[in-house]
Amino acid sequence: MKRVSADDKAIIFQLSTRERDMLVQILQTYPVVPPAHQPLSQELRDSQVTDYQRLLEEALAEQRAANKGHLHTWLTAADRFQKSKPGLRFTLERTDSEWLLQVLNDIRVGNWLQLGSPERTGLMPPKLPPKFLPQWLAMEMSGYFQMIILEALEG
Amino acid sequence: MANVAEPLVAPDQEKETSTKDELEPGYLVVCWNDPVNLMDYVTHVFQKVFGWDRQKAERHMMQVHEQGKSVLARESLEKAEFYVHQLQKYTLHATMERDA
Repeated sequence: MKRVSADDKAIIFQLSTRERDMLVQILQTYPVVPPAHQPLSQELRDSQVTDYQRLLEEALAEQRAANKGHLHTWLTAADRFQKSKPGLRFTLERTDSEWLLQVLNDIRVGNWLQLGSPERTGLMPPKLPPKFLPQWLAMEMSGYFQMIILEALEG
Repeated sequence: MANVAEPLVAPDQEKETSTKDELEPGYLVVCWNDPVNLMDYVTHVFQKVFGWDRQKAERHMMQVHEQGKSVLARESLEKAEFYVHQLQKYTLHATMERDA
């Protein structure tokens, strides 16, 4: 996948059908990070922080539900992926970039957690059990799409 | 739902019922290192959440990477919670701690 053009409103990417299939497939797994995954604080334990922790968990749960709903609409938009030569053209509106980066990172972090939070990413562990191959692939591919989107936003 | 691209701004209006402790900037917003979040992604998130330029965001990202954590802000309880929420929306490992 690579950026082919951009303006104030959207970025156009070119990608292969295989990349499109992979992108859609991993996005459909969202959300992957378990609810209440992170504490608000590592040290604070008073009742005030407990209240904020509950509010934070509720807000994040609402956010994930909204993201999931938006994701379905976004993926099924008729003009999301258009045939081109070679491959496909994919339009990302700039107003969707932050939301999409959050979704992709949830998928990356969630699969990393399922792999047991390994210290190293990037290279496939030599003794990775075959049953964990889908998680490793999803983690790496979500990172791949994140990097291309970030580079496109910078450029 | 789509997120706006502008830097996020913490709430300025404090609740009338806020205690003195809640209003004082005695809470640190801390980002912790992990091996999964990409360095460019972390830099991007710091720019978006705090409105920093790339240089400042990269400096804090490198501090997280090399020293294990970076203190990103010193705020009231309410604002610190707001920033932690924003960072956790991006699945960064962020917490708030009391400033010793």
